[in-house]
This record gives sequence, C-alpha cells and structure tokens, in this order.
Amino acid sequence: MSTDTDTAAAAPDLATLEAGQELPPMHKFPDEAQLFLYSAASHNPHRIHYDREYARFEGHDDIIVHGPLQGAWLTQFVTDWAGPAARLLGVTWQNRASGLPGEELVFSGTVTSVDAETGVVELEIAEHTSDGRLLMPATARVRLPTT
Amino acid sequence: MSESLIPAETLERVGEVLSGPVTTVIDRREAQRYAYAVGDENPIYFDEVAAQAAGYRTLVAPPTYVTHAVVQPRTAADLRTDGLYREGTRIRLLVDRVMFGGEEWDFLEPVCVGDEITATVRLAAVDQKEGRKGPFVRQVRETTFVNQFGDEVARSRMIGIAR
Repeated sequence: MSTDTDTAAAAPDLATLEAGQELPPMHKFPDEAQLFLYSAASHNPHRIHYDREYARFEGHDDIIVHGPLQGAWLTQFVTDWAGPAARLLGVTWQNRASGLPGEELVFSGTVTSVDAETGVVELEIAEHTSDGRLLMPATARVRLPTT
Repeated sequence: MSESLIPAETLERVGEVLSGPVTTVIDRREAQRYAYAVGDENPIYFDEVAAQAAGYRTLVAPPTYVTHAVVQPRTAADLRTDGLYREGTRIRLLVDRVMFGGEEWDFLEPVCVGDEITATVRLAAVDQKEGRKGPFVRQVRETTFVNQFGDEVARSRMIGIAR
C-alpha cells in the first residue's frame, strides 16, 4: 500500500504546456489491507472486495480492487501533477477489467488540449497493470492557475 | 435493431428520483480516513494552512469522497448474499446481468470539512445499444450534490451495463 511517482516535479506551467506532453507516471501497489481500509472508509460492504472464495464464485481471479478506489487514484494522479492551486473540474472513467491485490498498477496520461486563457487543460489517462493490461481508460479536465 | 430489452414502464421512469434527498455534514475525521485509505496524502486534506494557501475556505475533502460521505447507515439484515444492500427502488429490465460500466464526474465547487451536503439520485437515462456481443442496456444514475449555500458542488453519473 504505497504510491510512487517517477519524479516529484514542480506544478505544470501553463505558458509552456502543450498538447501531446506526458504526465510523469504514478504507481500503486494495492494489498489486502488497502482493500479492507477502502471498504471501511467508503462504507462499501461488497463481498468481492474481501471474501476471496466468494469473489472466485462470482468468476473473479481473486478479490478485486474497488472501481471507485481506482477512480480516486485517477483524481490523485491529476491533482498531484497539477498542484494545490489547480482545480479539478471533471473526470470520467470506464471499467474495462479488474485490478487484483499484489499487482502493480500504473497511471499514465497525456495532455490533449490547453486553453491558455482560461487555464483549462484536458487530459487522456489510462490505468494499466505493470504487464500492460488496460483496467481503466479515463479523461480529466483541470484548471491551472492563470496568474 | 433487436427487440426492446426495456419495458415501457421503465422508460417512463427516466427523470424519477431513485433515492434521497439525504443530507450529511462533511466530517474531518471521516474525510481524512478516506484520503489515507486511498493513499492520497495531499496537504490540502490534512493541513488547514496549506488548504487556505491553495485558496480553499478550510480543509477540503478528496474529490469523489462526497459520494461515500452520504451513504446512510443500514442494518446488516438488509445485506444480500453478495454483500450489497438491497435497493429500495428497482429498475425493471428484461436482462439481469448488470455490470458497473464507469463513472463521469463534474466538480463544480470545492467540498470542505463542515459543509452540509444534500444528495439526490435520479434515473438520468436508460437506453439500448448494439454491442459486439449483442444488445445491451445502458442505465445512467445521476447524483447531484448541493451544499448549505444552495450551490451544486458536484454531479456524478454512474453507468450500469445490463445484458
């Protein structure tokens, strides 16, 4: 249960930011303890997140990482990059496959548009396992400070 | 186009309130417990000085926390065998295998510790699509979150896929 970001970079600068630029990847290492803590903190009693035997009965390979936890990681990926003065305006994600405890999960993203006047930046994001399985394609909109 | 998987009675329910309104005060301890569970230790969630320096009234809650904050206490007798709570309102379809398809969020105003948030869930859309594996039904449940000032602070659209 930890987070690694490849570089502790300074907040992006609207003056030099352009479409096509990539965000530094973020890595997550969920374990059973994290799934338990997330179930508790989000008031989520769904059995597929804590009962291995039941999760397999439903056809999963193991207990699975919560969709909303992966969604919260997507927002963290953007807000860590954008810095505290930025405002997250929106995020969308699609559930394509399930993450499992013990897997390394990698968040990557690309800037798709920059509006220098309003500071609004659009991003295309993806969450993969470290062996390249796509779990969540996503998008985000964030407003950077225009000063 | 294949035959309809959506009964007329369900189409008539689009726009209907499915649950709420429910009102909850955003609690510092609960919001921080959530941030720690995510592993998101952004100072704006934990350090009031940092939050104010970033332009917030006071400590902020993580963006999607608001949807968990409004979960109401329920008795364990309401749990189904899969661990989910029985729903008060069911949407009838002619297919019954439902998967969580994804979610779309708009964050309109910050949600801060101490804010009083009222959530209302509506059936925003039910439509039938043709997929590679045949027809499926897409259901959208939209939750609006409004604060004590009457401002809409967030909107979430949860997309369910049934086939």
